[in-house]
Amino acid sequence: MINKSYADQKQLVGADVDYGEHLFGECVTCHNSTGLGQGIPKITGMKTSQFITKILAYKTKEKENAVMQMVAERLGEEEINSLALYLSKLK
Amino acid sequence: MTKMKRRTFVGLAAATTTALSMPSIAFGALPRVVVIGGGAGGATAAKYIAKDSKGAIDVTLVEASKRYYTCFFSNLYLGDFRAYGSIGHNYYGLAVNHGVNMVHEWALSVNNAAKKVNLGSGESISYDKLVISPGIDLKFESVNGYSAEAQSKMPHAWKSGTQVQLLKNQVKGMKKGGTFVMVPPPNPYRCPPGPYERVSMIAHQFKKSNPTAKIVILDPKNKFSKQGLFMEGWQKHYPGMIEWISAETHGGIKKINAATMEFETDLDTFKADAASVVPAQKAGRIAMNAGVNNGDWCPIVPASMQAQADENIYVLGDASIAKSMPKSGFSANSQAKVAANHIRGSLTGSKVFTPRFANTCWSLVATNDGIKVGANYKATNEKIDKTSGFISKTGEDSNLRKATYEESIGWYSGITSDMFS
Repeated sequence: MINKSYADQKQLVGADVDYGEHLFGECVTCHNSTGLGQGIPKITGMKTSQFITKILAYKTKEKENAVMQMVAERLGEEEINSLALYLSKLK
Repeated sequence: MTKMKRRTFVGLAAATTTALSMPSIAFGALPRVVVIGGGAGGATAAKYIAKDSKGAIDVTLVEASKRYYTCFFSNLYLGDFRAYGSIGHNYYGLAVNHGVNMVHEWALSVNNAAKKVNLGSGESISYDKLVISPGIDLKFESVNGYSAEAQSKMPHAWKSGTQVQLLKNQVKGMKKGGTFVMVPPPNPYRCPPGPYERVSMIAHQFKKSNPTAKIVILDPKNKFSKQGLFMEGWQKHYPGMIEWISAETHGGIKKINAATMEFETDLDTFKADAASVVPAQKAGRIAMNAGVNNGDWCPIVPASMQAQADENIYVLGDASIAKSMPKSGFSANSQAKVAANHIRGSLTGSKVFTPRFANTCWSLVATNDGIKVGANYKATNEKIDKTSGFISKTGEDSNLRKATYEESIGWYSGITSDMFS
């Protein structure tokens, strides 16, 4: 059950920070964690709600980008929340 | 919930195995991982094992070169879209940021029974787990008349580095109105769209400085990656310049002569003024020496990237049989993270997650005209199986193509940072 309302929820159901860190490995193949974000935006430092909203928009294909739609497609609630939790702990 | 239970179970199982099989831990010695090959597979694996184990695993990366030039984006150097220096990287970040022990030597042989890697210097290094990520070796003999000597006249430029510089020099120096012949490799090979992106970048050079030049592609295949997209782009940007001749049309390349620059086929004998010949490929030599190959490539366990022939060895990237994943830097980077997670699990009992694989390959057809193909994959018992994918469409608007090109620049920055810093 994924819908936009849970972007506003305080609790990240099923979130596991180790799992989030592991999944984040998939993000940093493209999203440079240290660079300027040329061509591909930086995602470190993104707010939890902002991250979840964007991922869901790719998942529902409201937001365009073939790579991100494919990435979001196989992220379930547990994965999205784990990533959100991990991202929130990154500086 | 099912997934959570499964992860916990795998983690516990790994921890139990570790306690039984790793007595060295009891004496205070760290478990040791040796990685052979500092490319997209090996550098990534070394970094993630070192980074995520936080000092609990001793990681040594064996790579002969102190400066590594990526194969990906070497075509953009050919087209003047990148400076050569911008595709070169060093290993300082792995050593300084993650404590990876760099050994700049050739790995000559593997003693599987003693779990040792013998180096060119005569030294050897012991391992608990070995990662082999050697990339490709070229089967020069696959093209009759081609050889290591002929590569100076007809560079393959398929391992980046100075071969690409040589090829660029020959492209730029080709006589006005001359003919460039490109011979792509047969399947399977490193970087499926690579030969066609290379043709695009050479055509881009010719359009600027040698507009009456021709490019003939003598393909050993009857179809190729992103074919419709490349063909459309060639027609749009380089009309009349590029002729692609399929295997069934030319009937096969019978012989090439590097001295006369002639390519003999059933259809005709083609005379080139400059050429690039990319022969068939196989896993890098050290994989063969370790005995983890079956023929030209190395069968792996899809869920972990362990060699089917030796559970203490993992094979990554181009050298592995990772069906359905293509042989690409992105694939190798993705596989490396799966292997790193599995290796840590088996050596330290850390959680082992369900493997997730992905790949995207961007290609540049002309200025601001980027195209891409990508897919997600999962491990089944038999293979790494595609679960979903996408490809750029013909007729896309120029803004999208420009964004795709810019995305590829972002990806290059991302993956090289992921590998080396």
